[in-house]
Order: sequence, then structure tokens, then C-alpha cells
Amino acid sequence: MANLKELRNRIGSVKNTRKITAAMSQIAAARLRKAQDAVTAAKPYGDRMREVIESLVAGIDPAERAAAHPLLELRPVKRELVIVMTADRGLCGGFNSNIIRATLAWINQRKAEGVECEVIAIGKKAVAGLRHAKVELRATHDAPTLVSLVALSKQVISDAIAAFNGTSGARVDAVRLVFNEFVSMLSQKVHNDVLLPLQPPDGAQAGREPTYEPDRPTILAHLVGLATEARLQQAMFNSIAAEIAARRVAMDAATDNATDMIADLTLVYNRERQAAITKELMEIIGGAEALKG
Amino acid sequence: MSDTSIKLDILTPMGAIRDGIDVPGVEVPGVLGELGVLPRHESLLTAVVPGIVRFREGVQAVRLAVGSGFLEVKEAGRVIVLVDRVATVEQVDRAAVLARLGEVKAQLEVDKGPIDAGAHRALADERAWLEAQLRLVAN
Repeated sequence: MANLKELRNRIGSVKNTRKITAAMSQIAAARLRKAQDAVTAAKPYGDRMREVIESLVAGIDPAERAAAHPLLELRPVKRELVIVMTADRGLCGGFNSNIIRATLAWINQRKAEGVECEVIAIGKKAVAGLRHAKVELRATHDAPTLVSLVALSKQVISDAIAAFNGTSGARVDAVRLVFNEFVSMLSQKVHNDVLLPLQPPDGAQAGREPTYEPDRPTILAHLVGLATEARLQQAMFNSIAAEIAARRVAMDAATDNATDMIADLTLVYNRERQAAITKELMEIIGGAEALKG
Repeated sequence: MSDTSIKLDILTPMGAIRDGIDVPGVEVPGVLGELGVLPRHESLLTAVVPGIVRFREGVQAVRLAVGSGFLEVKEAGRVIVLVDRVATVEQVDRAAVLARLGEVKAQLEVDKGPIDAGAHRALADERAWLEAQLRLVAN
């Protein structure tokens, strides 16, 4: 009989788990719309900023990049700063582990090439994962929310620029950003992009140049920091939406699995119960036969 | 393309605050001082510093506090104000801004590090933004 009771308990516990995963999936579904809208709303700002900065940078001779603005200087990379972005919480499939795995692989590869890396970790999962792997952390932050995003991006970028210029700590020669892009409901893509130095645009520049007021270098100096912030902000919007989408998918899968498990366990439970009843009947009949005899 | 109005976009990371509205003109805090854009302006790109943007929307005069960014005038009579932050009069909490401004100023007093150190830049940037908000609710 103990076996039957165990099975009953087991089914009960899986049912409770299913309630939790189903609720988490519904919460994610409700939040996803808002996050997706934020990604869409932020796109014109990021796109326009990128176009303007590219048109400003495109006219600059590669040899004069460093003179045009310190953040454009292409140096041989000896030390690199990697900004890593994950979520604060787990239970969202491979969302966090993909980022951490990609980061560690990148750092090892760089180490083999003789490049030292330090990391700014955004999101509690990145902090925990990288600390566990004994990676040098320059700074740690909580994951961005739609409210804290702009202020956080300013803080991180001003730190990154200081590192690039060598005004605080050891100077880094490049700043990279590892984050999840929100591709669709079902997929996220891990990006490992160069933030600094500012990259020259791929395509040739077209169109007439506007009047620059006061002049190109002043505008460039004013916008380089903002444009870098904008890149990070876009990544943050994507990361937030991707996290929610990943959680939704993971929790849906967990709910389905729980349903399957309950069905299997119920089948076993019913079979056991029937076996117990049959056994009892056999005993009774056997007893009655013996009395007759 | 009209001779009497321009199309104004105000873009921020949190979305478009105004999207292609028709205005007779717009005043923007440029890096060289206040700057007005009227219809048939030549194409222009200039830096925007924290301050107040003014324009007329229908019969309503609108004032917005903005952060850093740029102003772009395109030949087709389209004007883009792209800034990292925007606040309306209703959104500014004067007491909170004043309190925060006090903190920021105190920190800047103590901070004797290099001018382009990350923390200093961030503080100076925040001070400019807070002062822009104060100017918005000043009158």
C-alpha cells in the first residue's frame, strides 16, 4: 500500500509544479508585449543615431582617426573590456548559460592570443556565473529594467569610456558587448560586438553632407558617447525582451512535460491500484474456497 | 515640403515623443546657444545640449526639457530632434529634482579627479539634465 501512497504524493507534487510553471508562462506572456513594444519604440532612435554617427565617421581618413576623436583610435589590442549582459533570474532555458558560455569561450580564446580581458557583468546570473569561473570583474550591475535602462547605460558607458581612455585603472584597447538579441518569440541570438573603438561603416557613404554647426569634430565629440550609450540601450531592450520570450518558451515546455508526467504517473497508479484490488479479491476467494473444502 | 510648416520628430530611447507633427517652427538648445528652425531651413546637423525645446502644436505652446543629442534638419522640411531624455512639465517632480541636484553638486565638489573620468562625466551630465528640468518648471 505504501507504494500507492507514494505515487499519489508524487502526482500531487508534479501537479503543483505544473501550476507554478503555467503561472510563470502566463506572466511572461503578459510582460512580453510591453517589452516587444519597447524594442520597436527604441529602434528609430538607435537607427538614426547610428546613421548620423556613421556619416560623421565616414569622411575621416583612417590615419587621422585618433586625432579626430580619442574613441576612434584603433590600437593593437592587448587588453580588452567585455560587457556581459544576462538576466537577474533563471528558469528561462539557455538564456543565461548561452551568454556565460560564449563569454568564457571568448575570454579563453583571447587569453590564447595573449590578450587580457576584464569584464563588466550586468545581471545577477552573469555575476554569479563569471565569479564562479574566476573571471576578473571590473564592475557588477543588476539587470536593466525598462525604467532603469537609460541611467544604467550611462553609468556603464562612462565607465567603459574611462577604461578605454585609461583614466581609471589599466587602459583597455577595445570594448566588446555580449548580449542576447531578440530575434523572435522562439529564438535568441548571442551577439559579441565591438563597442569601442567606434567602427568605420561598411558601405560607402551616399548623399549630400548637411551644414555642420559648429563643425564636424565638435558634433562628433558630443555624439560619440551618446551613440555608444545608444548601442548599449538597444542591446538592453533586446536582452529584456529575449529573456521574457525565453522564459515563456521554457515554462511552456515545462508545463507540457509536467502534463505528460502526470499522465504517465496516473497510468502507473491506476494499474497498481487495480493489481492491489485483484490481489485482495483473489485472497478472499481463496479463503472462501478453503472454508468450503 | 510646405512653406509654412515643418515636420517635427522627437526621438528618445523610450520611443518617439512626437512623430512627424506639423509645426510652424521649433526652438532648440544648441551647443552654440538657442537656435530656431523655421520652414525652408537649409539642411543642418548640430549638437543639442540639455535645455528646453519649444514648439507650437496646433494652438498649444509646448515646452519640453531635453537631454543631450542632436538636431537634424533635412531638405524635405523634416526636423529630427534626437535626445537621450525628455520630460514634460507634468513629469518633473521639482522637490525630487532639487534634492538630487544638491547631492550631485555636493559630489562634484568632492570629486577632484580628472575631468574625463567616468564618474565625473556622468555627474556633470546629470547636473545639466537636472538643471534643464528645473528651468522647465521655473515659470
